[in-house]
Amino acid sequence: MSLFVPPTIRTEQLSNGLQVCLVERRQAPVVATALCYRTGTLDEPPGQEGVAHFLEHMMFRGSHQFADGEVDRLTQALGGSNNADTSHDCTTYFFSFARDRWATALEIEADRMAGLLLEPAVIETERAIILEEVKMNQDDPWDALEEEVMAALYGDHPYGRPILGNPRSLITMNRSALREFQTKRYRPENAVLTIAGDVGPEAFDEAERFFAEIPRAEHASCRSLGQVEAIGNRRVERRQGGVARLLCAVPGPALREREYPAMRLLAAMLGAGRASRLHRVLVEELRSCAFVSVDTTETLGAGALLVAAEVIPDVQPERVERRLMEELAGASSGGFDEEELARAKSVLVADWVLGHEQAQAIALAIATAGALMDVGLPARHLEKIRSCSLAEVERVAARYLRPDNPRVIGWSLPEGGRN
Amino acid sequence: MSAERAFSSVRVRSLAESQAVAVQVRLPGGSRMELTPGQASITGRMLAEGTHRRTWRQIAEESESLGMAISAFGGLETIGVSIDALARDWERALEWAAELVLESAFPQDRFEWLVEQNSAELQSMADQPEIKTGWEFLEQLYHPHPRSRPVQGTLEGLARLDREACDGFWRQSLSKGAVVTIAGGVGSEDRVQARAEALFGRRTRGHPDERVALPRGSDEAFREVSIAGADQAHFYAGHLTIPRADPDLPALQISSVILGSGSVLSGRIPQRVREREGLAYAATADAVAGAGLDPGRLVVYLGTAPESLQQAESCVRQEIDRLVSRGVSGREVEEARSYLIGREPFRRETAHQWAELLAAAELYGEPVDQPEWSRNRWLAASRDSVETAVRKHLHPSRLKITVGLPS
Repeated sequence: MSLFVPPTIRTEQLSNGLQVCLVERRQAPVVATALCYRTGTLDEPPGQEGVAHFLEHMMFRGSHQFADGEVDRLTQALGGSNNADTSHDCTTYFFSFARDRWATALEIEADRMAGLLLEPAVIETERAIILEEVKMNQDDPWDALEEEVMAALYGDHPYGRPILGNPRSLITMNRSALREFQTKRYRPENAVLTIAGDVGPEAFDEAERFFAEIPRAEHASCRSLGQVEAIGNRRVERRQGGVARLLCAVPGPALREREYPAMRLLAAMLGAGRASRLHRVLVEELRSCAFVSVDTTETLGAGALLVAAEVIPDVQPERVERRLMEELAGASSGGFDEEELARAKSVLVADWVLGHEQAQAIALAIATAGALMDVGLPARHLEKIRSCSLAEVERVAARYLRPDNPRVIGWSLPEGGRN
Repeated sequence: MSAERAFSSVRVRSLAESQAVAVQVRLPGGSRMELTPGQASITGRMLAEGTHRRTWRQIAEESESLGMAISAFGGLETIGVSIDALARDWERALEWAAELVLESAFPQDRFEWLVEQNSAELQSMADQPEIKTGWEFLEQLYHPHPRSRPVQGTLEGLARLDREACDGFWRQSLSKGAVVTIAGGVGSEDRVQARAEALFGRRTRGHPDERVALPRGSDEAFREVSIAGADQAHFYAGHLTIPRADPDLPALQISSVILGSGSVLSGRIPQRVREREGLAYAATADAVAGAGLDPGRLVVYLGTAPESLQQAESCVRQEIDRLVSRGVSGREVEEARSYLIGREPFRRETAHQWAELLAAAELYGEPVDQPEWSRNRWLAASRDSVETAVRKHLHPSRLKITVGLPS
C-alpha cells in the first residue's frame, strides 16, 4: 500500500479569467466549494484598516438575488454549511452541500461577486458586530499577544496590522470604501474557485453557467507586497489572565521561497509531537511548560517561524525564555539526526492526509494555494518535504535561527505578577 | 502486571477510498463515574504515558515515526485511546491501541507530571472569559452531578488524586468492557474484525454501573462572575432538558435548529441578537447541548458589550417565550429537518468520524451509523410534535442565567 496519493486537480479558465479547479473525491456524497480572492489586509488603503474583513462580513448581507439573511437561510434549509476567512493575503468563501444541491453555492457566489448590495443600515449593524469581534479577540490572551507580536515583527507593513482592523478605522468605515475595495478586488480574474468532492467534470459547466457573464475588470488591479523593514530584537510585554504565555517570532522564508519546505520540516523537528526537540526539553525534561508548539506562517511575502509556549504556574518565565534561546541557538548550529528528520517527515505527510480527508479541507487548500501561488503548490511542497536532506534543514536553521538574527519575544504575563 | 483481558465489542467499517485509518477504544467510566474530580481525565491521559513494554518516550518516538496521532483521553462518559494513522498502518495502530489500553503501567513519575500539566491547563482555560463563565453556568445547572465541573477536574480534586486511585479507576472501567471501533482504508472488514477480536477478546460487553448523582442545579436564578481585564460580557442562559434516550429528542433537535444550533446564523436567536440588533459577534443557542446518558441543556450563549447586556437578555427571553407560546411555522420545521438530514453525510466523511459514530452506536445502543435511522426519526417529527416537545421541555420561567462581567 502506498504512503498516500496526492489529489488529482483538473483546472480550466473561464473567458473572464476565473480559474476553476476540480478535485474528484468519492468518499462521501458531498461537494465543497471554496472561492478565494487574491485580496486581503495587504491591499487595504491607509486609514481603511479592516476593510477587507468588513467586506467579508457584508458578503453575507444581501446581493441582487439573495436578500439579507437569505444566504444563511438557504444554506441551512439545504443542509449545508458556509463560512469565510480573511487573511493578510487572501479572502476565501466556502460552502459544503450534499452532492445533489451543491451548485447553489455557485449561484450565491456569482450573485454576490457581481451584485453585492451594501445596504447602509446593514453596514451599521455589521459595524457593531465587528466591534464586538475585536473585543472578543482582545479578551483572548493568545489572540491579543499574537496581535502585538506581529505588529512588532512587521512594523508598518500590512502584515503587522490586525485583520479585523482597529476601532478607529472601523468607526469611520463607510459604504464607498467598501464598494471601492469590492469593485477593484472582487473580480473573476482575481479569484480561484475550487470544487471538491463527489462530482465530475460537469462542475466546470456549472461554473461556466453562473460565472461566465461576469466581466473581467477593464484595468487590472495590481498589488504590492511592500517591503518589510529589517527589525532589531524587540520585546513585547503585556499582562492578562493568570498564566504566562510566550510567543517568539523569528523572520523566515515566504511561501514562494525555495527554503519554505525545509523551514516546515525544521518547525516540525522543533515542535510537532511529544518527541520533538522543544517539547522534549521544555515540557518533559524541564517540566516548565504545559505545551510548546512551533509553526510557520504561510504568507506571500515575508514569513515567520512562531514558537508558542504556556508556562507552568510558579515556574519563572525568564528560565523558559533562556532555555528556549539556548535551544534555538543550538538548532542553528546543527546537531539534528536522521531519525528526527524522518520522524518530522512522517508527521507532516500524515498531517496532510489526515487533515484533508474532508472535501471542504481539500477545496480550501487548493483554492488558497491557487490564489497565492498555483494549485500544484501543496503537492510540490509535500514532495519536497519528503526528499529534503538533513543538510538542507540545517542550512535553513543556520540561516534563520542564528542568535544574532533579529526576533520578537512576546510575553503575556499574569496580572498581579504571579509566575 | 497486565490487566485482565477486557470484555469487548468490535465494529469495523472499511472505506474504499480512504487513505487513513482511525482506531478508537472506549471504556465506559468517564468523569460522570469518578470519585475525585479529575480522576477520569488523568486516568485516560495516563494510557499514553507508559505500558509494561514501552515508556512514554518510546511510545511518542515510535508512533510519530509512523505519523500516527495518538490521543489518550478521559471524557464525560468514557476514557480511552484514539489513534489516527495512514491506512497502510492499520494493524500497527490496532496493536498499539490494545497495548495502551490493556497494558498500561501508570508510572508514578508520569502521573505526577500529568497532574501538574492538567492543573496548568485548567488555569489556562480559566483565562478564557467565556470558558470561566461557562463553568459557573454548568455548576448552576448540574450541581451536584459531575457535569457541574470541568471534565478535566478541579485544582482541589487533582491535588487529592493519587496514582493508585487512577490505576483502580482504569481497572474498573476495563471490567465494564471495551468498545473498539476501526474505520478507514483497511480492506477486508472480516480480517480486521478477527485481528481486533484476537487482541481484545470476543466477549459480550458488560453494563456500566450507574451510581451517578442526579443533577439538581443550584437554587440561584442568576449568577455573576467577575472577569479581570476583560472588555466583553459573557452571557449564558438555560436549564436542563432531556437525555439522549428521550423519545422527544428528534423533535427537540428540530426546535434547537430553529432556535440557533445550525451551522450558520439563521436561527431565531442569532438572527435577532446578532444579525438584526448587532448586539453580539458570538450568538448561539442549543436546546439539547451535551445530551448523552445524562440530561442535556438548553443553552444560549452571547458575547456582548456590558452596556448591551440587558437588551440582549431581553431579546433572548422574548425569543424563547415566543418559541414556547406561539410555536413554530411549517416552513421552519421543514427547513430545520432538511438541515439535520442534509448534515448527515458530513458526519461520515472521515475515518475518524466513522470510528466515532460506530462507538456512539455501540455505547448508546442506537444505529446512528446508519443514515436512514436518523433520517426517519426526524421525518417522523411533525410540527405538532415539535411544538409539544418545546412546551414540555423548554420553560422560560426556569431560565438560569450566568453572566461574566469585566471587573
